[in-house]
Amino acid sequence: MKNYIVKKERLNDLIENLIKTNEVIAPVAHENFTAFAPLSSPDQIVWGAPQTVIPPKQFLYPQSEDLLAYEFSNDEVKITGLNTVKERILFGVHPCDLNAIGQMDRVWAEKNIDSNYPAKRKAMTLVGVDCLTPCSPEAICLRLGGLDPKGRFDLFLTDIGNSFSAEAATPKGEALIEGAVAAKAADKKKLSAVRKKRNLIFDKKEKKLLPKYQDLPKLMKANVDHPVWEEHGKLCYGCGSCNMVCPTCYCFDVQDYMHVSLVKGVRSRVWDGCMTEEFAKVASGENFREDRSHRLRHRTYRKLNYLFDKWGESFCTGCGRCIKACLTKIVSPLEIANEIYSRKI
Amino acid sequence: MKTLYTPELAVIKKVIPQTPLETFFELELTERKTLGHKPGQFVEVSIFGIGEAPISISSAPEPDKPTFELCVRKVGNVTNALLEKKVGDKIGIRGPFGNGFDIARFKGKDILFIAGGIGLVPLRSLILEVLNRRPEYGKINVLYGCKTPRDLLFKGELKSWECGGTVECMITVDLGDENWQGDVGVITTLIPRVEIDEKKTQAVIVGPPVMYRFVIKELKARRLADANIWMSLERKMKCGVGKCGHCQMNEIYVCQDGPVFNYAELKKIPESI
Repeated sequence: MKNYIVKKERLNDLIENLIKTNEVIAPVAHENFTAFAPLSSPDQIVWGAPQTVIPPKQFLYPQSEDLLAYEFSNDEVKITGLNTVKERILFGVHPCDLNAIGQMDRVWAEKNIDSNYPAKRKAMTLVGVDCLTPCSPEAICLRLGGLDPKGRFDLFLTDIGNSFSAEAATPKGEALIEGAVAAKAADKKKLSAVRKKRNLIFDKKEKKLLPKYQDLPKLMKANVDHPVWEEHGKLCYGCGSCNMVCPTCYCFDVQDYMHVSLVKGVRSRVWDGCMTEEFAKVASGENFREDRSHRLRHRTYRKLNYLFDKWGESFCTGCGRCIKACLTKIVSPLEIANEIYSRKI
Repeated sequence: MKTLYTPELAVIKKVIPQTPLETFFELELTERKTLGHKPGQFVEVSIFGIGEAPISISSAPEPDKPTFELCVRKVGNVTNALLEKKVGDKIGIRGPFGNGFDIARFKGKDILFIAGGIGLVPLRSLILEVLNRRPEYGKINVLYGCKTPRDLLFKGELKSWECGGTVECMITVDLGDENWQGDVGVITTLIPRVEIDEKKTQAVIVGPPVMYRFVIKELKARRLADANIWMSLERKMKCGVGKCGHCQMNEIYVCQDGPVFNYAELKKIPESI
């Protein structure tokens, strides 16, 4: 890790220059919400709150992504695999999302490597920003391990007043920041004071997690039949909003789209959600996860049990988006864990 | 560019209607000699412009045979479109996928095959494999149940499976018709009529989800150990490569770690059956 200090106006100059030759993406304001979008000026960046509605996964694993194209001619069909890759620099990514991307890097690199994700990931430069206060009342990042980015970035900025402290974890990050400043050691004292204060604020403001973080998989496993699943599940609309906004939900459906000429078409993958009724339903009508309470348990188990066990960390990074998106306020992994913990069966 | 999701082309060599709902297809890949599958594996069938569907392979692996066989029930978009295809048409194929049956586990054993409805389609790949090497196995029984006589699959070849009397096939239907002279009743009614040496027998069950619990109960009553009961499970399988999440039961991706499971393992997976 290399450390730098960069004056805010110098960073702005750097971003301004980058915009001229690169696609630079950051949270920008749209009416009453923020979204990751290409910048035309560094002044557009929303560095802290409000958090974007959709996480940056859309640039690695788009909502709709063409996987192949086909074209018919004289009874023959020509098939071409597709993978649209664009160099991109992302600024202002919160630690919860940096952790989620780090986790997605692991799952997409498993056996049967899907070339689409890694190619997009390789073409991406990630510049994170430290959150010094929770971005919303729903944030639970400190509790679920999402606040410390654990080096999952190229460059990571912490606001220390007139300047940012910048940590570079990769040569890509070093090259980027060295476009703005000569290498310089950080003011470690100031940085550590800022972080200390940050942790106190998060600890005071974020909802507590009652069970121990490390015990979450064990707690989940022991409570397959806990009444919480039925109580929360029966209120679920099965809308899948929690899946769509989650930075670590990566399930997809595959759809064919024929061109109006009927001589060509594409096969695309689109985001899908395990909370929707159709998710596990086969053509004969059999639904292998028909009950909403079972779908809620499945989603929660993926975050706090299956993937936690497999990779050694919670796959809810505590961004709080699902809690905001949920219409009936039943989906919070932290609150589910707390209810199970306090009402042992 | 070829990716994980790029299908290969296969030519339809034969189309044989089996029942009002099911049709048999023989296919040959255009760019590879054989599919190289194991019994119990599946392929993703592509109809361009419609989509993909997971379909069990119904033929035994034979290294010198360039074709492979599917038997498809007309039930969704892809299978409906597939049924419109004719001999000579090309469709897309990805796979084979899934673990398939571990054939070595059955060597020298008695095998009790139990199929319900189109469960016979994947099971046929294993039955034919075993029959191709008949002397390597002990006693073989095939129990097959379906709704009515007109739903019977592979009618023309069921007789040949008896291998001149060395395999016992029993068929039952839920509801007979005026010409049906065979057994009537659910598949479990056949099990008490089979002689089972619980030390030597491997049971292989493939059928609709509702069937498994009843059949397993019968087999347990005949003192068959969990580890000697095998099943192939149906799930929604969109990608076939362990990514899309649809086929998941608990932490298991059925398209990768299944569809064939041992009951001793399945018992630990609450979402399995």
